[in-house]
Parts: sequence; C-alpha cells; structure tokens
Amino acid sequence: MIFVIDSLNKHEYPALLNDMFRLRKRVFADRLGWDVRVSNGMEKDKFDDLDPAHVISVDDSGEVVGCMRLLQTTGPHMLADIFGELLDGEAPLRSATVWEATRFCVDTERLTRGSERNSISYVTSEVMIGAFEFAMAAGITDAVAVIDPVMDRVLKRSGNAPYGYLGSPKPMGKVTALAALMDCSEARIQSIRDYAGIRHDVTLPQRVIA
Amino acid sequence: MDIIDLSVAAKTSENYLGFLDQVCDRLELDFASYATTSPMTGAVQGYANYPDRWKMHYMQRNLHRVDPTIHKSALSIAPVDWSRFERDEKFKAVFFAAGDFGISPQGLTVPIRGPYGDRGLLSVTRTCSREEWDKLKRRVIGELQVAAVHLHDAVMRSDVISQALRQPKLSRREREILQWAAAGKSQTDIGDILGISHRTVEVHLRSAREKMGALSTVQAVGRAIGLGLIYPR
Repeated sequence: MIFVIDSLNKHEYPALLNDMFRLRKRVFADRLGWDVRVSNGMEKDKFDDLDPAHVISVDDSGEVVGCMRLLQTTGPHMLADIFGELLDGEAPLRSATVWEATRFCVDTERLTRGSERNSISYVTSEVMIGAFEFAMAAGITDAVAVIDPVMDRVLKRSGNAPYGYLGSPKPMGKVTALAALMDCSEARIQSIRDYAGIRHDVTLPQRVIA
Repeated sequence: MDIIDLSVAAKTSENYLGFLDQVCDRLELDFASYATTSPMTGAVQGYANYPDRWKMHYMQRNLHRVDPTIHKSALSIAPVDWSRFERDEKFKAVFFAAGDFGISPQGLTVPIRGPYGDRGLLSVTRTCSREEWDKLKRRVIGELQVAAVHLHDAVMRSDVISQALRQPKLSRREREILQWAAAGKSQTDIGDILGISHRTVEVHLRSAREKMGALSTVQAVGRAIGLGLIYPR
C-alpha cells in the first residue's frame, strides 16, 4: 500500500519516515556504495530538508519495502545541484510540469524475484503507480528519475520503459547512475497496472487473501 | 496567446493584477492571488483580484498571519486543495465571513519554488459544486502550474540584481532543439534528426520555453537569437 508523505502530513507518520530513511541507508550506503550521509542508521541529505514528497510502499506486515522522493525542477533539486555530472555539466531541465524523482529504491533483501505481491517487480510498479497518479493530479506531465541500470531493466520489463535519457550514465559507488525520462500519463499507468496485475487503488489498504 | 506576457511587460502591479484577471478568465476561476516572501528581507509581496472590501477585511484583521492556505501550502510540492484545511480552526477564522464578501472557501494553492530557495504561492477560488470543482481542477491544473511559475519568475526578476542572476541557462540539447526549430523543423522532424524520442524533444522544448519566460516556441526562438544562444538562419 502506498503513502504519500510530505511536510504537510509528516507529523502523522514519524515511524514510517524513519523506516524509509533506514531502507535508504541499506540500499544507497550499503548495497550501492554511494557517497551518502548516514547517521543513526538512516540516510538523509539536505534535500530531505527542502519539503519534498515521499512516495512510500508498505507491505502487509507494515514494513517499508520501497520509496521514492519527489521535488519540483523549478526549485533546488539533485540534478541541478549534486548530480550535475550525470548531465555532462549541462544545465538541468526546468519546467513547472516536470518533477524530479530520486532515492528510488525497493528492499531487494526482503522482496522476492517473482511477480507476486511481495516481489521486487510488484513493489516497483506500486511505487511508480502511486507517484504517477500523485503527479498527474498535480498537473505534472513528465518526470526525470535518477536510477541505476538494474532499476532501468526492471522498468523496461514491467511496461514502464523510460522514453529517453538525459546526459550519460556515470559511475556512482558500486554501480552507474542515469537520468531517465518518463511521462506521467494514463497510458503509462495502465501499462504498469497491466504488467503488475494491480487493479486496485494503491493508496487504499488491501485485504489479503491467504 | 492573449495572456499578458510578464517576461516582457513592465514589472508593475497593474500588469500582475491583469495577469491574475486573465488567468481567472481563461481557466473559469472567480479570484486569484499571488504571494511571496523575500528570501533576503522577509517582506511579503502580494497581488490579488479579490473585491476591495474583502482585501480590507483581510488586511485589517491581519488574517495573513493565520491563513493556512499561505502557511501550509508552501510545505507541499503539489497544489493543495483547501478542502484539506476545512476542519482547521485557523481556516475557519479566515473564511467564516468570506461568504458575505462573495468569496468561496473552495479553492486551491499552487506552491512555486525557485532556484534560489525563493518560494511563491498562487491561490485560486471558484464557487460551484464539488463535482464541477473536481472536473475543473483536472482540466486546468497543468496550465495553472505554468502560469504560477511564469508569474513568480517575473516577480523575482523585478529588480536589477535578480535580473543579472537569472539569465536563462539552456543546456546544449535545448539550444540544439531551438536551433532546429528556428530552421522550421517540427518536433517529429527534430526527434528523427537527433535520434531521440519526440517526447524527449517536447520536454526539452518546454523547459527551454519556460526558462526564457516564453509563452510559445516561436517566441523562445526569437529570444534565444536575441541572447546569442542560437543563430538566425
């Protein structure tokens, strides 16, 4: 199930946010070896202080299993200030209707390889559906997402291939990072839903049929 | 386009108010207001086409100090529908008398963020049924986002120092695409020429337009030539 948490409602979900920062530490510091700031077992950076929106996937036992952070490209964001290298030193996109997605990850240790409810592919799709629906309601038409090649492959084979890339892939920690473009559209959401078999409203709790 | 182009119009409150009027006319809204706080001085700058009686009422009671549509919406990256504040005591304090002034408590606020940590808010209202409001929102929200950033950028560029700081920075790809647009190529042609998807062309073009404060591609091409970013041909 998806939660969208921003500075308007974060006081309602302190534990969920901390779990998300712990997941990000396990993924970006431990697994991908990125040069990120870790304290108290949590990965947080200065962009988390700029009132971003977090899209968070929680599994049936209440664990945070996936997340993504969204910021407007009109204001300070990672491709403008930190990931400039990915754009080969070029100026970043700046548009009222384009958002940036960063820190996109899923819990590969907890999730399975298949396509059932607790799989990497299902949770990735759920986070993307949640993010695209939130973005569309806000009038956003496109997103630029910083991802690694593994995530890129997951997107390509789950009905959610990026329509383009900015700059060129660059080494970052143990992997490479790239800036991918995706449209926030009904067509894309439908395509993700078809591949993942997700028909319900992802922001509502689901009854689990054992 | 018939909307006032604030990137060339004089930076006067008449033009800002005219822009708000046009946003209301085009997007079927009753009232619109814009506010920003200077990152340097903390001074609040605002424009609104509300009736004067409501503005007086609002100012005399210093309602901006408690108005959640101002204080909370800036915390969001997405437009905030005021229905989120309906049960809020502060919201009631601001809006309980609004009906007497012909002001609907049905509205939303678009939060705008600029590159230097500057923030702005464009708020709009409309009296109609909940269903109509939801439909209208879906239809106009994208245009509202673009209008909000256009207005905010114009207000932020209204002094000389900011103007110097805020020269548009186009990427090589954006310049290249504008150069082909100047040669009369369509988006489809440009995508084929550069070997990128048409939507990639579209997103770069949109970014270039908005960075230059231009309302159309033709205008963006003209400005890019004027600034020496691309060559006339």
